[in-house]
Amino acid sequence: MRDPKVLIVGAGPAGLAAAAELTKRGVSDILIIDRDDAPGGLPRFCAHPGFGIGYSAIPRFGPEFSARLVRAVEDKNVRILCSTTMTALDNGPAVSITGPECGYRIIKPRTVILATGIREANRGNRMVPGDRPEAGVLTTGLLQQMVARSVPFPAAMKSIVVVGTEHVSFSAIWTAHHAGLKVRMMVDDGPRISSFRPVGWLAKAIGIDIRLRTHVAAIKARDNRVSGIVVDGPRGTETIACDGVVFTAGWIPEVAAVATGPVKVDGQTGGLAVNRAGLTNVPGVFAAGNVLSPLKASGSCAIQGRRVGLSVAKYLGSQS
Amino acid sequence: MSAQFDIAVIGAGVVGSAIARDLSRYDLKVVLLEANTDLGDESSKGNSALMTEGHDTPAGSLERDLVVRGYQRYMTEAPQLGLPMRKTGAIMLAWTDEQRATVEKLVEEVHSEGFHNVHLLEGYEVARRWPQFRPGVLCAQWMPDEIIADPFSTPYAYVLDAVTNGVAFWRPWRVSRAERNARGWRLSNNRGDVLDAGLVINAGGIRADMVESLVGHSDFVMRPRRGQYILLDKPARAIHDIIAYPTPTPASRGILISPTIFGNVLVGPTAEEVEDRDDRGVTEAGLRALRQAIDDMVPSLRGMPVNTIYAGMRPATNHSDYQIIPRFDERWLTVAGIRSTGFSGALGIAEHVMSLVFPNVFDKQPVNPVRGVRVPDLSETSIRPWADPEKIGADPAYTDMLCHCERISVGEVRDALNSPVPPASIKALKRRTRAMFGRCQGFYCGARVQAMFDEAKVKRDA
Ligand SMILES: Cc1cc2nc3c(=O)[nH]c(=O)nc-3n(C[C@H](O)[C@H](O)[C@H](O)COP(=O)(O)OP(=O)(O)OC[C@H]3O[C@@H](n4cnc5c(N)ncnc54)[C@H](O)[C@@H]3O)c2cc1C
Ligand SMILES: Cc1cc2nc3c(=O)[nH]c(=O)nc-3n(C[C@H](O)[C@H](O)[C@H](O)COP(=O)(O)OP(=O)(O)OC[C@H]3O[C@@H](n4cnc5c(N)ncnc54)[C@H](O)[C@@H]3O)c2cc1C
Repeated sequence: MRDPKVLIVGAGPAGLAAAAELTKRGVSDILIIDRDDAPGGLPRFCAHPGFGIGYSAIPRFGPEFSARLVRAVEDKNVRILCSTTMTALDNGPAVSITGPECGYRIIKPRTVILATGIREANRGNRMVPGDRPEAGVLTTGLLQQMVARSVPFPAAMKSIVVVGTEHVSFSAIWTAHHAGLKVRMMVDDGPRISSFRPVGWLAKAIGIDIRLRTHVAAIKARDNRVSGIVVDGPRGTETIACDGVVFTAGWIPEVAAVATGPVKVDGQTGGLAVNRAGLTNVPGVFAAGNVLSPLKASGSCAIQGRRVGLSVAKYLGSQS
Repeated sequence: MSAQFDIAVIGAGVVGSAIARDLSRYDLKVVLLEANTDLGDESSKGNSALMTEGHDTPAGSLERDLVVRGYQRYMTEAPQLGLPMRKTGAIMLAWTDEQRATVEKLVEEVHSEGFHNVHLLEGYEVARRWPQFRPGVLCAQWMPDEIIADPFSTPYAYVLDAVTNGVAFWRPWRVSRAERNARGWRLSNNRGDVLDAGLVINAGGIRADMVESLVGHSDFVMRPRRGQYILLDKPARAIHDIIAYPTPTPASRGILISPTIFGNVLVGPTAEEVEDRDDRGVTEAGLRALRQAIDDMVPSLRGMPVNTIYAGMRPATNHSDYQIIPRFDERWLTVAGIRSTGFSGALGIAEHVMSLVFPNVFDKQPVNPVRGVRVPDLSETSIRPWADPEKIGADPAYTDMLCHCERISVGEVRDALNSPVPPASIKALKRRTRAMFGRCQGFYCGARVQAMFDEAKVKRDA
C-alpha cells in the first residue's frame, strides 16, 4: 500500500464532507479510514429525521444523510477502508493504522484530517452509585446500535428512564419508542430542558414525566437486572421503578488514539485544539467535526468538514 | 445411575480452580462444580489483583505460609500458563510521626521474619523517585518484589488447565443437597441432577458457610466485607505506576492506589462489613472515601477521567486465619475463609490441600499431565495481537478492531468464544478478553460484541 496524499481518519459527516470538498478542489489520492464496519459515522445508527441541517438542501434521516455523504465521494479517487483503526499519530505526520486489508503499518501522508467524533459519558464515567446489573444500563449510542444491528434487548427490558434532556435525549426517546420500549421519565440536573422547548411539550404529550433539577442518586437492581432508579429532586428522594436506564449526552471527544502523541488537546472542551483553518499544533494535521468540541449537529460538522477540506486543499497547493 | 467421581470440588473461584488444577495431575475422576454460569464470578472477580509476597499477613498463621508458597509457585507457573505479571513494587507511605514509627517498626519486623528485599526509604528519596505523592512524606516501606497480575485470566487458566487434563467442569451446578453414602457423598442440585463423590472439597468462598450447613457443620460465620473501587482511565498510569498505600492502622489496611495489569489505575478497596453478601453496590460514602484517598496520596490524579466504579466482596469469617478443616473420616474437606489474600495464596492453598489428600485419602502419585495450556496475554504492556506481525500475518481477524477503547480484535473475541471453557455471559466474555472494559463501556462496541456472543451461543447450543 502506497502512502496517500491525504489521510482522513473517521468516515462520519465531518470526514466525508472534507473528502468531498477536496475532490471538488482537484485533490486526488485520498484515503479515508474508519474503524467501524461501514462508513457513515454516528448518523448511520440514528433512524430518525433532523440530520444535515444547513448542509443538505433538506433535513434527512440519519442513515440517509450518511449514505448521501458516502455516495458523494464514490468513484472520485477516494478510497474508504473500513475496519481500519488509527492507533497512534506522531510528528511527520506518521500515522499507525491497523486493519485486515492493510495489516499493521505506519503511513506517512502529506496531510491528515482527524474526524473521529465523540461518545457519550456512561454510568461509570459519571460515577453514579448503586447496584451494577449486567443488563439494562445503556447510552443512546449503545441503544441505537442495538436497534440498528438488530441485537435484541434484554428480555425483561420494557420501560426505561432517560437521563438528560438534550437533543440526543429525544433521539433516544424516538429510538426507544419505535423499538417498543416505554419511556417513563426523563431526568435532568438542569433547571430547564436543554433541547428545544416544543420537543419537551411533545414528550409530555406522549406521557413522559419530565423531572428537572433532579439527579440520579443510585441504580437499583434485582437478579442482575435494573429494577429502578433513585432520584433526588425538588420532590425529595424517590425510587422510580423501571428496567432500563439510558444515559444521554455528556459528550466526550474521541481523542484516545492521539492522546499519547504530540497533538494538543484543549483543556476546556476536551477536544483537539485547532486554529481558524482547522490546523492542530502538529504541521500537516487538521481536525474537523465533533472531535473538536462537543456537540454540534451533523450538518454543522459536515460544514466544518467542508471548510477544513478547503484549508487542506490550499495547504497542499501552497506546498507544491 | 448417577455420575461417579473420586473427588468433587465445590466452587470455581480462584481457590477451587487452583485445587482442581492440582488434582488433575493425579489419576482420579474429578469434577469442579460451579453454581454460576461462569467461573470466578463471586469474590474472585472484584479484587486488587496484587500478587503479594506475604509479609503483610499475620506472622505464624497458616495464611502466611500459604501466601508465601503461593507467590513462589505463581512466579514459576504463571509464565508457563501465559499469564502476565508486572513487578511494579509496592510502597507504604508515612506522612505523620505516628505513621513513621509504625513503618519503622514494620520494616524491622518483616526483616526479622526473613523478608529481606523490603527497605526503609527516607522521605526525600521517596519524593525524588515518585514525585506524584502528596508532599511531606516522612518515610516509606519499599517492597520491590510486589507484583500486579491478571485477576480474571488466572482462575480461567487454572480451569482451562484442569479441564485439559481431564477434570469435568460442570456449570451452572449449585450443590443444594448432600447425603452421605457408602463411598462418600451424593450431591444434588435444584434441577434434580445428582452425582456421587468419594471426597468433597468445599471451596465455596463467600457461600462456603451455606455449603457447610448442608452437612451440618458450623465452625465459622461469614462476615462479608465489601470493597469499593474507582477505575481510572489509562492516562493516569503516566502519573502513577506503583502499588501505593498509606500506613495501616489497627482498624484498617487503607485504600491503595495501584496500576492494573491492563494499564489503568485502580483506587480502592474500601472495607465495610455488610449484612447482605450479595450487596456489591457502590455508595456515595464509598466514593467519597476513595476520592479522599486520591487527595491524600496522589492529588494529581484528581481530575483523571473515571472508566467505571465497582465493588468486590471479601469472603471473611469470624476467624482471622484461613479455615482449612479436614474431616476425612467424613470424606469432607473445607477450604474457606480465604478472606483477602486468596489470589496470591491459591497455589499455596492447592499444594497444601494435595499434602492433606495424598496419601491420606487416596494413595496416589502424580502422573504426567498435559502441558502447554496457555491463555492469551491481556496485559497492556505485552505486544497486542493487532501489532504482532506474526499473528496478523496468520490471521487478519486480529487487526479488525472490535473494542476500540481496549483495542480488542474480532479475532481475540472469536478465540475466547471458541475456548474449551467458553464464556457463558457477556460479563464473562469481558473478563476473558477485556472487550468493553474500557472508557466507553460499550458505547461503540456493545452491540457488536453482543451479536458475536449470541451467534456463538446459538452455534454451541445447536
Ligand atoms: C444518538 C444521537 C443522536 C443524534 N441526533 C442528531 C440529530 O437529530 N440531528 C443532528 O444534526 N445531529 C444529531 N446527532 C449528532 C451527529 O451524529 C454528529 O454531529 C455527527 O455524527 C458528528 O460527525 P463527526 O463526523 O464529527 O463524527 P462521527 O459521526 O462520530 O464520526 C466519527 C467516525 O470516526 C471513526 N473513528 C473514531 N476514532 C477512530 C480511529 N481511531 N480510527 C479510525 N476511525 C475512527 C468512528 O468510527 C466514526 O465513524 C446525534 C448524535 C447522536 C449520538
Ligand atoms: C476488594 C477485594 C480485594 C482483594 N484484593 C486481593 C489482592 O490484591 N490480592 C489477593 O491475593 N487477594 C485479594 N483479595 C482476596 C481474594 O479475592 C479472595 O481471597 C479470593 O477471591 C477467594 O476465592 P475463593 O475461591 O475462596 O472464593 P470465591 O471466589 O467466592 O469462589 C467460591 C465459588 O464457589 C461457588 N459456590 C458457592 N456455593 C456453591 C454451591 N453450593 N455449589 C456450587 N458452587 C458454589 C461460588 O459461586 C463461587 O464461584 C481481595 C478480595 C476483595 C473482595
